[in-house]
Amino acid sequence: MIPKIEYFSPVNLTELLKLLDRHQQAAKIIAGGTDIIAGFHQGSARFKGIKYLIDLNWIDELKKVELSSDGIVIGSAASFSEILKNELINHHFPLLSTAASRVGSVQIRNRATIGGNFVNNAPCADSVPALLVYDAEIRIRSVEAERAVSLADFLLKPYQTQLRSDEVVTQIRLPFLSENYLGDFYKLGRRRGVAISRITLAVLMKLVESKIDDIRIASGAVTPIGKRFVSLEQFARGKTVSDHLYRELARMLGNEILDATGLRWSSAYKLPVVQQTFYQQLQHIYQTGNLR
Amino acid sequence: MTIELNFTINEKKITLKTEPNRRLLDILRQELNLTGTKEGCAIGECGACTVVMNGKAVNSCLVLAPQINGAEILTVEGLEKDQRLHFLQENFLKHGAVQCGFCTPGMLMSAYALLSKNPNPTEAEVKEAIAGNLCRCTGYKQIIDAILETEGDIK
Repeated sequence: MIPKIEYFSPVNLTELLKLLDRHQQAAKIIAGGTDIIAGFHQGSARFKGIKYLIDLNWIDELKKVELSSDGIVIGSAASFSEILKNELINHHFPLLSTAASRVGSVQIRNRATIGGNFVNNAPCADSVPALLVYDAEIRIRSVEAERAVSLADFLLKPYQTQLRSDEVVTQIRLPFLSENYLGDFYKLGRRRGVAISRITLAVLMKLVESKIDDIRIASGAVTPIGKRFVSLEQFARGKTVSDHLYRELARMLGNEILDATGLRWSSAYKLPVVQQTFYQQLQHIYQTGNLR
Repeated sequence: MTIELNFTINEKKITLKTEPNRRLLDILRQELNLTGTKEGCAIGECGACTVVMNGKAVNSCLVLAPQINGAEILTVEGLEKDQRLHFLQENFLKHGAVQCGFCTPGMLMSAYALLSKNPNPTEAEVKEAIAGNLCRCTGYKQIIDAILETEGDIK
């Protein structure tokens, strides 16, 4: 059951920020509602004690996807369906389009928003690994100030972020990449449609004459929160690609994940799957790169 | 807190007063007696409660009542015209795409939303459109066949 609540429908940011400032912890932001309404129904502890729901759906500027001088700016309340059909995103940030296509179902994607996917910092958020490899920066507003923070820093631990109760995430900014990045996004769920991710991996790689000029690796679901593998990326940069290197990187990724999660009941299954998948992603990226 | 809702349901404009903690699904079934729309899982996984809102398929169990202000909602009851079934419904009958019938209203509305944007979908597009609708009886073959046969302008 949804508890007795008061509902607010601010039509601009100023109204929204005043409401957040006034109600603080007693208020929760709602956009697509796909997490919060299902959460209410299941009696989730994350949504206890909420007296006010503040709806982002009536604020048009939070739904826009626009070009900026150095990248694209996605409004936090843009739905996954909007993201999927956006040509700019599809062209410049295809891993995000792929990740968006794997979220829930048509019905869910028509409502669920990109901001809502990560503000709760659920480990299984499909868009997070893609956003992380693209070095997403998010903009946060409160009555007093606007601040910018990288998504990687924003996500603290499972179901915890930097967001304060008087703040709202307004934008996700993705900087354009230089040419020649190749990449891959992988999601494993228990079935294809409407599946909660068990493993997600996003990889971006830039090769210059068979050397790894840049590589970015991020995971979700299989780690406590979506994360980048910075030391692994550093190890790989400058190395000449080979089957041996891919195997080495896959082995190291497995070790890093094990370090992050500790041994889980599912490790015996997931670790070899992650390692093999990552190995195949690197191979695939290299092969499609060769075709160019 | 009582709120006033103004919206269009199956091409009829209506106004009603309700509480903000109710879902579109509750409004349909309890306020408007439109019980064609079913409640299955109530967490957006089964699609039994699918309706078309502003041209898009949505789970009515995940839409908060105040969010439908100004919206155009189409439910399974809005498909038939002048006591004649919509030909999408006719094709469901023809292909035996209905067994217990619980998923059928949601399936029809997901199919309707697809066909109104894409009159000639491929089989893959049909499968994608109904991936959020669970059927536990017939399997999906008959349903997909029924949707594929319903080509062209569906309105």
